[in-house]
Amino acid sequence: MRSARLYVTLATLALAAAAASLAIGRTSAGPTFGFGGAELADVILLEIRLPRALLGLLVGGTLGLCGAALQGLLRNPLAEPGLLGASSGGALGAVVVFYFGLAGADSLALPIGAVTGSLAALATLYGLAARRGDLLTIILAGIAVNALAAALTSLALNFAPSPYAALEILFWMLGSLADRTLAHVWLVLPLMLAGWLLVAASARGLDALTLGGETAASLGFDPRRTQWLVVGGTALAVGAAVAVTGVVGFVGLVVPHLLRPWAGFRPSALLGPSFLGGAALTLAADCAIRLLPPGPELKLGVVTALLGAPFFLHLIMQPRRGGASAA
Amino acid sequence: MRCTLAALAALAAAVLAASSAAAAKPRVASINLCADQLVLLLADPEQIATLSWLAADPEESLLAAEARRHALNYGTAEELLRHAPDVVIAGTYTNDFTRRLLARLGFAVVALEPETDVAGIAANLAIVARAIGQEARGERLIAAMHERRAHLEATRPAERPAAVVVRPGGFTVGADSLAHELLELAGVRNVAAEQGLDRWGSLSAETLVRSRPELIVFTGYRADQPSLANAALLHPALARLARSRPTVTVPTAYWACGLPQSLDSVEMVRQPAP
Repeated sequence: MRSARLYVTLATLALAAAAASLAIGRTSAGPTFGFGGAELADVILLEIRLPRALLGLLVGGTLGLCGAALQGLLRNPLAEPGLLGASSGGALGAVVVFYFGLAGADSLALPIGAVTGSLAALATLYGLAARRGDLLTIILAGIAVNALAAALTSLALNFAPSPYAALEILFWMLGSLADRTLAHVWLVLPLMLAGWLLVAASARGLDALTLGGETAASLGFDPRRTQWLVVGGTALAVGAAVAVTGVVGFVGLVVPHLLRPWAGFRPSALLGPSFLGGAALTLAADCAIRLLPPGPELKLGVVTALLGAPFFLHLIMQPRRGGASAA
Repeated sequence: MRCTLAALAALAAAVLAASSAAAAKPRVASINLCADQLVLLLADPEQIATLSWLAADPEESLLAAEARRHALNYGTAEELLRHAPDVVIAGTYTNDFTRRLLARLGFAVVALEPETDVAGIAANLAIVARAIGQEARGERLIAAMHERRAHLEATRPAERPAAVVVRPGGFTVGADSLAHELLELAGVRNVAAEQGLDRWGSLSAETLVRSRPELIVFTGYRADQPSLANAALLHPALARLARSRPTVTVPTAYWACGLPQSLDSVEMVRQPAP
């Protein structure tokens, strides 16, 4: 009953944010509402704002879902999708595409590069950690893969063909939903769906894991299977997200924390609400960008961190109650 | 009934607008600082639908006063759609997502390579001139620029002092850059290029001091207060060097984008303050 009300509330919030995302535009004079007259409405609504709202929903949902699954799997409230190197691997793949000037050749080269980078990061992680499947090894290997990808990205920036190219790469890595097309939606949707299904399949295993690996095994759940479902699903879904939006931080970290007091302690009960909550938060941040006074658009990753960080601090400074910090 | 009439009126207006646009030259929007300035040089004022907001900033743009007479944009597709241009001029490093979306929406999108030499300026002038139907004006500007370049080449001083360029953040200019070609035209040797630097990058203070430059070229970001801005940029060792050498300040806008006016910097470099 409680969970039904939570789902309805969050779904309403997400839909309201999506509707706002369709209705709010931005011109040189600042925010506008509506669709700019009869002859422009179709194009503005279907070609410009619909892809933006859909991607906000998909990317935000992915970040929330994967954040909740990782926090459950690692039994660590600091876990988030960036931890496994999926984001930084994706960013590296995209930067390599920029660097070799392939981005101009084919509109899908950039997203394909990012997904490839994300999968490469996962494959490296798998190679490093497969023999010893324990959590600590996975986390440490994830940190190492992250550091390597970040270093290679900086290296590419260092040797960028022109200062303009370096700047473009930096801006892209701050994350944005602006001016994407439906082609980007169709590109990421299958990858995200596959990722979501993998993560969803881990739900009961995650619950069993809260009792400890050995107890879970005695209940018939293979902890390794759960691990790889979550890790593989995250790499696919988050890699696809990074591919079209750059790196959007903090959503995967904040949303599960925010919803845990309402969703309860079981990791599986947090997955669905975190998906909806992540979508609502990301869409709201993207609307906020367009509501600001006239000026160049802020980047989405900047706004999610600006909104998320103080809120997160407030959350962790509160006296411990309920399950707010324990996974 | 009233709705139908309104729709008919709108349709008639659209048809009229379309037929008069066919007679007139294409309306142009620019979303890149360098493209903005080329458009300002080439287009009739009534052809210009919108320019990027940077074009109106005198720190960035040599044609800020002219740019302020036009609508400005922040380079997003939705803004441009409302200006309904026929042609959109961008840079090859302008946001790729925006360029693709605009092309998908049916605009003719032209992307300009950054100008790395005077030939590049001529090439971009020709591209923009063709895109907006101002070929004759483009040819005149290109011919005048080549003529001026030839004159500068003929008057180049025989003595070639070693010069070093100090830009904000310690950056300098290497070979394969527009600024390098302009320094060569001015008749000075670009120390950074002799040190093997190509395109862009930075040289250490030690390298710069050891190269014994005879002239220091600042590219001030604040054209009206160059000494103040540049003093903060300088390493103490370079500052000491600068006190004993002639210096010259070229405002950033002359080298940030390749324009016929970029050749003005050649004369600036030839007349250093002692």
